[in-house]
Amino acid sequence: MNTSFLLFALLNPLFALLAAPLYMALIRKVKAYAQGRRGPSLFQVYYDLRKLLQKEAVYSPTSSWIMRFTPYLNLSTLLVCSLFVPLVFVPEPAGGIGNIIVFLYLLALERFFTALGGLDAGSAFGGMGSSRSMSLAAVIEPTMVVAFAALAFVLKSLNLHQMFALNAGTILPISPTLVLVSISLFIILIVETGRLPVDNPATHLELTMINEAMILEQTGTNLALLELAHALKQFLLMGILINTILPVGLSTEIDAGKIAVSAFLFLLKAGLLAIIIGLFESALAKMRLFRLPAFYVMAFFFSALTILIEVFA
Amino acid sequence: MLEALVYGAIAALISGTVLPLLYRSKNTRKTSFGLSLLSSILLLGFAGALLYTGKEPVFPPIRYLPGLDFTLVADRLSAGFILLIAAVVPGVSIYSVEYVEHAKSEAGKNLQTALTNLFILAMLMVVLAGNMVIFLIFWEIMSLSSLLLVLHDYSSEENKKAGFFYFVMTNISTAFLFVGFISLFRLTGSADFGPLEYSASELALPFLSLFIGFGVKAGLVPFHKWLPYAHPAAPSSVSALMSGVMLKVAVYGFLRFLLSVFTPELWWGVLIITAGSLSALFGVIYALKENDIKRLLAYSSIENIGIIFTGIGLYVIFKVEGLESLALLSLAGACFHAFNHALFKSLLFLCAGSIVHATGTRKIEAFGGLVKTMPATTALFMIGSVSIAALPPTNGFAGELLLYQAFFQSFAVTDPLLTVFLITALSSFALTGALAAALFVKLFGITCLALPRSEKSRLAEEVQKPMLIGPAVPAALCILAGLFSKQLLSFAGWEIEFPDLLLLGLLLGLIYAALFLIIRSKETSPARISETWGCGIPTLAPHMEYSSAGFSEPLVMIFKNIYRTKIVHKAEYHDKQESLFKNGNVEIRLLRFFEEYLYIPPARAIESFSKYVSSLQNGKLDSYILYAFLAVIVLIIATGGFV
Repeated sequence: MNTSFLLFALLNPLFALLAAPLYMALIRKVKAYAQGRRGPSLFQVYYDLRKLLQKEAVYSPTSSWIMRFTPYLNLSTLLVCSLFVPLVFVPEPAGGIGNIIVFLYLLALERFFTALGGLDAGSAFGGMGSSRSMSLAAVIEPTMVVAFAALAFVLKSLNLHQMFALNAGTILPISPTLVLVSISLFIILIVETGRLPVDNPATHLELTMINEAMILEQTGTNLALLELAHALKQFLLMGILINTILPVGLSTEIDAGKIAVSAFLFLLKAGLLAIIIGLFESALAKMRLFRLPAFYVMAFFFSALTILIEVFA
Repeated sequence: MLEALVYGAIAALISGTVLPLLYRSKNTRKTSFGLSLLSSILLLGFAGALLYTGKEPVFPPIRYLPGLDFTLVADRLSAGFILLIAAVVPGVSIYSVEYVEHAKSEAGKNLQTALTNLFILAMLMVVLAGNMVIFLIFWEIMSLSSLLLVLHDYSSEENKKAGFFYFVMTNISTAFLFVGFISLFRLTGSADFGPLEYSASELALPFLSLFIGFGVKAGLVPFHKWLPYAHPAAPSSVSALMSGVMLKVAVYGFLRFLLSVFTPELWWGVLIITAGSLSALFGVIYALKENDIKRLLAYSSIENIGIIFTGIGLYVIFKVEGLESLALLSLAGACFHAFNHALFKSLLFLCAGSIVHATGTRKIEAFGGLVKTMPATTALFMIGSVSIAALPPTNGFAGELLLYQAFFQSFAVTDPLLTVFLITALSSFALTGALAAALFVKLFGITCLALPRSEKSRLAEEVQKPMLIGPAVPAALCILAGLFSKQLLSFAGWEIEFPDLLLLGLLLGLIYAALFLIIRSKETSPARISETWGCGIPTLAPHMEYSSAGFSEPLVMIFKNIYRTKIVHKAEYHDKQESLFKNGNVEIRLLRFFEEYLYIPPARAIESFSKYVSSLQNGKLDSYILYAFLAVIVLIIATGGFV
């Protein structure tokens, strides 16, 4: 452990935790504008979280400790994940934190328990959500792994910190093939955060839900923790994409001014990405469940292409 | 000193085998399992010391026949697998003390105890065997003792069939090993395991026959069908040993020849990875569809054996390509995954045994709600499920992480075709991992959560103490081996760049505790209990819950080309024009692809050939003497032709 990493371990999760809900709101706002509405305030998500945190939880008599355990576990997992993706500055590596495979499997840990939570209350909707979520996650997994393998290959490390340290300081990515990986990363971001055309986060019909169906039985404080974990997941995946395609301004040294600039620039870049996601969602309709594997193959193709180009170039 | 530990363990296991055959009482059985527990502690000390110091003990050979020595050898590879045996046996022994008492007859209980000890002894001796003859002798004892254990309840027709299937497959395995050993013996004139200097074409036959021989025993696709038959028939403690240890003994045998006898070729690596990836993928895909808890776990073993072989194949490829550090990483991954699988699979089989004992059925669709009726077993089952789904910070994750690291760095291989091959293998590996997670969400969720789906499950009672302490041993080891994976690997002499899972586990635990305390201290109103939302239906019934088949339906749809489902209509009509329906049914049947296309045709051919041969047997002594005479003449001419 070095001071650089300790500072990072304090700043980065805090920054992610505070900023993540904002982008949930921003995407919602963009979609509202695209539909000709004004939409709720950007701070509505924060208000909702505060309200939920003050409410008591309601449990089904069928449910067990899984349902009580999952929200805390999910948020802790995502907080650990936030140590893996440098947002404000890139620290010196420590203890294998930042390993890209560990990051992937921490996301899997979160998904595993969310799915069990969906089955816990005995509701058919929850079971349906769990079943669909695990099935789609299984089909996207090869794409995710190959995309991350391509990223690791191009940036010559298995550690996200070292990768982005290599990529930082330039305006554009160090290799043109990173643009190809970014397309895959964008699709992964859409799939992993349950957005259109995979899942509709704004749906009110239980039969079309995937992610929402699993947390249908969660209430009050527990729901707030799950929502926060979901926002964090989206923010971190956005972070990986941004650090890959537009690393400009990411600081690699500890300097108050540079860290501030780095954080501010990141907020701007994330804002731009959120607008793109919002427009992307507005332009697409939800795909049929069994059409989705074809959509994933596209992302797979771009990642595999990256590795092949890098190997043969 | 170290040798004494091994002799002590062997003596304990032998007396554990003999005692229950002499005296029929509960105490004898207890003593016998105590002896196997003792032997595993001795072996733990032996293997640990060997791995740490790297000093190989010397066992004086015993000559029992001219030219054939009874030699034992233990090096770092055998020490690793002895450690594996020593890690699985304690849990199984403690569990069996209670579990064996559920057998039907007093004689059956004693026999099961004696055979379990013999089985453990045979597996230990295979790993210690110093030459091919000793290896084969104990290999056969291992196969036969496990066969008798599979047949423990031979009254049911299903178990008889399972036993026969296992018997045939295990003999095919031994036959291929014989071919491999004899062809090696012909080259060298020696039965020892020593490095060979022969051309690749001469080694192709021994390699292929050994690969198939060990592959059958390990359960590689397409030789895997005996596993899903034998496991449901065997007692759960024996399933834990078979899946946890015996499959790994086959892996050990393969590694022993690959590492210390052969110099591998590139195509061997490609073949091993292909077989491994296919086993992993087919294993988990078939497991997803399975509704019998023990059969599901058997398919999952096929998957994990596939992962281990993928690691071995990677080792061969990197070795041939001259990438030593990556080769080491893959080999470490394969061995560590073998060790981890032994732990979590024995844990899962023991828990499954408890569940089957408490509910009286193996059908997943009949479970549910066990988290309320069997809380301790459920908690242990949870640890096993998280481990096998390779979630951090458990040991299952640590093993797969090593293999992922090897894969991610493998693109340093310069051959373009090989790169494409490795990308394909990596994607299949990733798919397997994610499907395994889905599989264990299904198994744990449908078995333990929500409302009980049957009366048996509702009335299930928690099992006796030994059947909880038994699986608790591998469960604790699963967590410890995960958290201390980095330390364990460096203890065993593998200095590998590896993330510290202890740090990760501590971070997770601390953040969890902090979150929990903060939220709980701010909590104003207590939690309420209220019905699950069911669109306004007053009370939820078990049949409204998501079922096991329902859960895997999306994946079955996506992989429908692999499952090859067949819809069969059967209908009877009152009239000839088939317009007045009498009765009938429609069933969606899984096409048993391997069985119908790969197993049954040769079996039929052998059957009809045997019928033809049996017509030569007329029961008259003089014609048999004539056959023997003709055979001798044919032999003389044939061998004379060769000389």
